[in-house]
Amino acid sequence: MNNPFESTGRVKASLNEQKYIASDEIATIVFLAQKLGKPLLTEGPAGVGKTELAKAIAGATGRELIRLQCYEGLDESKALYEWEYSKQLLYTQLLRDKLNDTLGKSESLAEAADKLAKEEDVFFSNRFLLQRPLLRAILCDQPTVLLIDEIDRADAEFEAFLLEVLSDFQVSVPELGTLTAKHRPFVVLTSNNTRELSEALKRRCLYLFIDYPTLQEELAVVRLKVPDLSPKLAQQAVEFVQKLRSTEMRKSPSISETLDWANALVALNAKSLDKQTLEDTLSVLVKHEADIQKARRQFIAPPPARGKPDEFGRFSGN
Amino acid sequence: MESRILQLIAALRASGVRVSLAESAEAFSAVDLMGIQDRNHFRLSLRTTLIKDLRDLPVFDKLFPLFFGSGEPPMMGGDPTDDMTPEEAQMLAQALREFAQSLRQRMQRLMNGEQLSRQELETLGRMVGLNQADDLRYQEWLAQRMMRALAFPEVREALRELMEQLQQMGMSRERLEQMREQIQQNMQGLEDQIKQFAGERIAENLSERPPGENVDNLMNRPFNALADDEKKILQREVKRLAAALRTRIALRQKRAKSGQLDPKSTIRTNLKYHGVPMEIKYRDRTRKPRIVVICDISTSMRFCSELMLSFLFALQGQIRKTYAFAFIDHLESISEDFNGSDADEAVASVLLRMPSGHYNTDLGWSLNDFNNEYLDTLNGQTTLIVVGDGRNNFNDPRLDIFSLMTRRAARTIWLNPEPPVMWHGDSDMPKYAPLCNNVLKVGNLKELVSAVDQLLSA
Repeated sequence: MNNPFESTGRVKASLNEQKYIASDEIATIVFLAQKLGKPLLTEGPAGVGKTELAKAIAGATGRELIRLQCYEGLDESKALYEWEYSKQLLYTQLLRDKLNDTLGKSESLAEAADKLAKEEDVFFSNRFLLQRPLLRAILCDQPTVLLIDEIDRADAEFEAFLLEVLSDFQVSVPELGTLTAKHRPFVVLTSNNTRELSEALKRRCLYLFIDYPTLQEELAVVRLKVPDLSPKLAQQAVEFVQKLRSTEMRKSPSISETLDWANALVALNAKSLDKQTLEDTLSVLVKHEADIQKARRQFIAPPPARGKPDEFGRFSGN
Repeated sequence: MESRILQLIAALRASGVRVSLAESAEAFSAVDLMGIQDRNHFRLSLRTTLIKDLRDLPVFDKLFPLFFGSGEPPMMGGDPTDDMTPEEAQMLAQALREFAQSLRQRMQRLMNGEQLSRQELETLGRMVGLNQADDLRYQEWLAQRMMRALAFPEVREALRELMEQLQQMGMSRERLEQMREQIQQNMQGLEDQIKQFAGERIAENLSERPPGENVDNLMNRPFNALADDEKKILQREVKRLAAALRTRIALRQKRAKSGQLDPKSTIRTNLKYHGVPMEIKYRDRTRKPRIVVICDISTSMRFCSELMLSFLFALQGQIRKTYAFAFIDHLESISEDFNGSDADEAVASVLLRMPSGHYNTDLGWSLNDFNNEYLDTLNGQTTLIVVGDGRNNFNDPRLDIFSLMTRRAARTIWLNPEPPVMWHGDSDMPKYAPLCNNVLKVGNLKELVSAVDQLLSA
């Protein structure tokens, strides 16, 4: 099979084809993770493209992406597998006659029980096994990319369970025996760092911290994803976002918000970043009321007493 | 190369980064894979395998260049007299002659852009005590001292004089400017070289430092024998342990939950299916404890109580309800202080409110306070924890109230830093002890951890 991930340069190029602009750092670490067969733990602020990275890897390698979204209270039955109890029950009801036929001829209770035991496998077979993402990734015939999203939102106990799965990619279903992965999936875990992950989990992963991009990187992303935005306006927009990020905010705008904003600018057919456009679209970029007020005060309409008229002059393009 | 990487790992560990054996093995296979030709790839392969925490990244970024330096700092080599006219060279030689022998040599070396030899650096290092330093914070300071030992300030002053003199002697302006620039750059190069050397040496010392002062040792050290900075290390360790404990307790509670079939509630929920058991209910066997903790925060007990409190509040999710009280001579409820998210801040605010002074510990009176105001916090599901040494300064121990409290609570546990052999003098422990279900000696962090673990396992 033609492996698109045979060198860091190829990694970078093929991620680029998926419209994901990878820095050298990201490309190198993705390459290492795939070579060493280790899960990749990515951390960073929300919206810098952690999930996007997993999608791009899946796209570049042509593998299926299996996603497990974590949340508080997520447990094994939601993540691994579940017996379809009601389906089993339905089948026993519908097959009652058939069962009677099978069991009816037996002489003693013991014989009937033995016969039933022989048929037991029917009810605990793959037919009634409801595969959840983890088991799907393990049983899949093709190599896959397994994305475990926002692992920090799951409980500590789920993390402990995940460790077992990640260490040797096999699970035991008591009724079926041990199921081992045919192909090791490429595992990407993302975390927003809302809580400390356990040492054991970190030890098993390669670590990649994705920070807010630099001006050039972000501009490249915007140009790539929103090609309709004029280069000049894109430059101005990204400069504005970078400036917002450097101020103290409750939630700094991330790349995904920059892209939303760029799309909004295209939709509004904006020619330049004048005061009115900024006023109208600011809420796409900044999500907290307090932050909006602050941004408005600082960048759009500075208080007249101290404000310099050229402060927003540069945005109006004059 | 291998030993260099091992040294880096040792230095990382000495700076407080946790690097496991598996991770260092991983680092080697990553380096094998990526090769060492590309410095950036090399750095990334080490970083992604060794560093798993955002907070540790700066440590790595600081240490890495010290072990795998970017080579020698650039110097402008060559003799400045090379492209001078004979008259100009004459002028320079004459001006130089005005200075003392030692200064003259230094200046000439600077002009020629000669670097310090390894040996010279070693000598300088010995002069300023570089070999004893094992903290990177001293890098800048030691480098300054080395430069002073090289008579840097004097040389700088002398060079300025030299320039003035040359100007007076009529050297052209451009030539002077050129020389000044060259010397400036060489000085910078030398400074970088010295800084790099100081950093390297400190990092090496760091990696050779015996691992004696690590956390494991501190965990076994009695509370009252801890220095201030050691307490800080332990505070950090408490957080880590609390996280580990939380995982363990969570697992325990989780396993207990999926235990037994609950026939009663199964029948009830399946009434709507004509009694066909479509939904199975299991008995929830988790019993999250309710905890009432009374802490002695007088000077002798303060640190133990502090750790205990940070522990309990780090375990919030695993405990149903906590009421915390602190006393020295009277009792105060401190639960409100812990409603915020940061346990450290909470502990600090409590300690600020109830400073340890010269007044005497009085547990009896504090129990009386509890009896008057907070007795309703105790019920059949509550575990009562007392953290204290039971030294009552010969006040009335109020055993009547204490026995009432123990009878109301499901369980009473006393954590005492003193072993039973020391329960004499003004200690009322012999009287309190029989009333408790359990008296645990908690003299150091390790014992505290196992006590908390035990507390939540039952």
